[in-house]
Amino acid sequence: MPSRDDIKKSLTDSFKGAIVKMEQPIDSRLFVDIHKEKVREISNAIVKMGGRYQVSIGYDNIARDKTLGLVHAFAFDRENLFLLLRTSAPADAPVFDSITPDIPNAGWSEREYQDLLGMKFTGHPKPKRLILADDWPAGVYPLRKEIPWNLMPPAAEDVAYQLDEAPAGCTTVPVGPFHPTLHEPAHFAVFVDGETIKGCDYRGFMTHRGIEKLCQTQVSYNEIPFIAERICGICGSVHATAYSQAAEMAFGMKISRRAEYIRTIMLEIERIHSHLLWLGVAGHLIGFDTVFMQAWRVREPVMWLGERITGNRKTYGMIVIGGVRRDITPEVKEDILNVIKKIETELMTIHKAIAGDSAIHKRTKGVGALTREQVIDWSLVGPVARARNVDIDARRDLPYAAYDDMKFSVPVVDTMDVWGTVVVRILETFEAISIIRQALDKMPNDGPILTPVTEEIPPLAHAISSIEAPRGESVHYIITGENENRPERWRVRAPTYPNLQGVPAMMMNNQLADVPIIIGSIDPCFSCTDRMMLVDMQSGKAKEVSGKELEELSRKLTTGR
Amino acid sequence: MWLTSKIKQVLMVLKPGTVTLGYPFIPNPAPKDFRGQPYWDHHKCIGCGGCAAHCPARTILVRDLCQELRVMLYDSSRCTYCGRCADVCPESAITMTDKFELATGDREDLTERMELFMLTCQRCGRCYNMETENIIDKMDLKGYRYDNLDARALIPKATECIDTAVLTETETYQRPAK
Repeated sequence: MPSRDDIKKSLTDSFKGAIVKMEQPIDSRLFVDIHKEKVREISNAIVKMGGRYQVSIGYDNIARDKTLGLVHAFAFDRENLFLLLRTSAPADAPVFDSITPDIPNAGWSEREYQDLLGMKFTGHPKPKRLILADDWPAGVYPLRKEIPWNLMPPAAEDVAYQLDEAPAGCTTVPVGPFHPTLHEPAHFAVFVDGETIKGCDYRGFMTHRGIEKLCQTQVSYNEIPFIAERICGICGSVHATAYSQAAEMAFGMKISRRAEYIRTIMLEIERIHSHLLWLGVAGHLIGFDTVFMQAWRVREPVMWLGERITGNRKTYGMIVIGGVRRDITPEVKEDILNVIKKIETELMTIHKAIAGDSAIHKRTKGVGALTREQVIDWSLVGPVARARNVDIDARRDLPYAAYDDMKFSVPVVDTMDVWGTVVVRILETFEAISIIRQALDKMPNDGPILTPVTEEIPPLAHAISSIEAPRGESVHYIITGENENRPERWRVRAPTYPNLQGVPAMMMNNQLADVPIIIGSIDPCFSCTDRMMLVDMQSGKAKEVSGKELEELSRKLTTGR
Repeated sequence: MWLTSKIKQVLMVLKPGTVTLGYPFIPNPAPKDFRGQPYWDHHKCIGCGGCAAHCPARTILVRDLCQELRVMLYDSSRCTYCGRCADVCPESAITMTDKFELATGDREDLTERMELFMLTCQRCGRCYNMETENIIDKMDLKGYRYDNLDARALIPKATECIDTAVLTETETYQRPAK
C-alpha cells in the first residue's frame, strides 16, 4: 500500500497538466482540483493505487462562476486518507466523462446528478432516471439553487418507469413496491428462468423526501442534526454524528474528548440494538420466528436504556454540533454496564441455540454468494463486505470520535454468503459490548460535553466525514454556506446506497425463494407511501384515489379547510 | 446436532417466560428524564421566540397581533419531542414532562396557545415584556413575526422566487410513450 505522500506524489507526477491545485486542510483529507477531461483517467489511477470509491457529490456553483461542481470521494482505508477529486463544468454544458464503466458503484451517484442537477455523463451504461418521480417534468433540476424547495409541478397520471427488458427466455417476477418481505417501498423486477434468478432491475427512491434541499434552504446548522437523525429509524445517531463531525471539521473546531467518548458509547449502543433487530428480521425472513421473538426480547432492554440516557427510546436527539446534549453520570454508567452484561449472556444463549441449527444453515449458506473481487469492484461496505473477506471498517481505518483509543477486532469471515453476514453481525455485537466497557472505563472525567461555536464560520469550506454504521459506512459531505447560517450543500450517503447496487450481483443464479433473505442480508433501509386505495365496504367497489385528490384530502384533514 | 439446538431453543424460550407487560392495564411510567409533552409556563415566558427559532420541526409559531399582543402557538401534531425548545429557553419556561399518552382525535387537544402582553420600547419600537428586567437585550428581536396560525405554517424567512420561465417547459412537457 502506498503511503499518503506516495499517493500525492504519484498523482502530481502522472497528471501534472490536469491538476489545478491540491489542498490538505487536515492530514487525512486531500482535496485535488482537476480539469474535467481527466476525471476518468485519474479515478482509475486512484482505484489502482488502492482507493475505495465512496460517493460523488454534485453541487450548484452557478451563482459564483457559472459552473456545476462534482466531487468524487475515495478512501484509502489503510492510510486513513480521504481523497476528494474536485472538478467542474460550465452550467450551460455540464458534461462529464462517466466513471461508471470502471467503477460500477458510481452509477447511482451519476444518475442522481443527472436527475437533480442536470449533469450529463458520457459513456454511462444505464443513464435512466433514478431519483425523481416518473412524472417530474424534464428540464427542472430540483437541486439547483433557482428552484424553490417547495416547488410542486403538476402531476401526470399515465407515466411509468420503463423497466429493463427480461433476458431471452426469462419471466419477470415483480417484488414490491409493497411486499411482505420489504419493510419499505422499493420495486425489484426479478428475471427468472424457472426458479433460478437470471437478473434484476431496481426502481426505488419512491419515498425521496428531499431532505438535502430542505436543509440547504430552510433550516439552520443547529437544527440539521435532528433532521439527519430521522434519515434512518435505526441508525439515527450515526447520521447526526456524521453530520456534526463534518460540520465541526468545516468550521475548524475541536470538541472535548469527553463528548467524543459519549458519542462513541451512543454509536455502539445503537449498533447493539441494530444488529439484534437485524438478527430478528433475518430469522423472520427465513421463517425462523423463534429467533425473531427472542432477539427482539433481548433487544428491548437496550431501547429502555436509550430512553433512560437520552429521553427517547430511538431518536435519541443526543448529538449536536459541538458535542452531545446529555452527560453520562456515574449512575447512568452503572446502568449501562448492567444492561450490556445481561445482553451479553442472553445473546450468547441465542448464539449457541441457533449456531447448530441446520435450518438456518440450509437457508443461508451458499446464498447470495459474491467473490471478494466482486465486492471490491462494487465498493460494497459493512457486514456485507466483511462476510466476503474484505477487511474494511471505518472505525479502525478512518478513525473518528474516540475509536483511536479503543481496542477491538474487526470480525471478517470468508464464507462469501448470507451466513457470513449473520456471523459477522453476532460477533460485532460482542465487540460493541467490549467497546462500551472500554469507553466507560477510559472516559475522561472533565471537559464540557458541549463546546459552543465561537469562531466565524468559514464560507464555502468543504469537509467529509464517515462513520461505520451498523449496516456499513455512512458518508456525509458538507460545503458551508456564505452569509447564511446553513450549509450550501449537504450530501448524505447511507450504507444501503452502495450495498443495494450489489444486490443484483448477489441474486444472480440463486433461487427465487431466497430473494427476501438476500435483500434482507444487506439490512436495507429504503424509506413511506405515495398512493392509496379506497374500498367502499358496502358495494365492495374499489376506487383509486389520484395523487391530487389525496393531496386535497390530506390538506383538508390537516388544516381543517 | 439439529435436535440439540432445538432443545437449546426450547430452554432459551422457556427460561425468560412471559415478558409481555401489562400495559395499558398496569401503568408503565416513563423514566425520569423522558422527553414527553412540553409544558409552557406562561409566568416565566418573556416571548423572545427563541424556541420558535430553534424548533427543527417548526411547530412553534409566533404572531404579533399588534404592538402589545404576541401570540405563541405550539402545534404538537408535528412535534418530534426533541426538547430543543427546553434547552434554549433563557428563562426555563419550557419543561419536557413525562406525558406520552397523547393520542387524540382532535389536534386542538394538544395545541398550546399563549397570548402575551408586551410593551413597545419607546426608543426602537420593538415590543417587550415589561415585567422582567433587561429583557430587550435578551430578546434580540428582529421586527414583527407574522406566522400563519390558521394554516399552522411558518412564513419562510427567505423564499426564493422561482423564475416562471423554468415552468414553461413543464407545460409543454411530453410524457414518454408507454
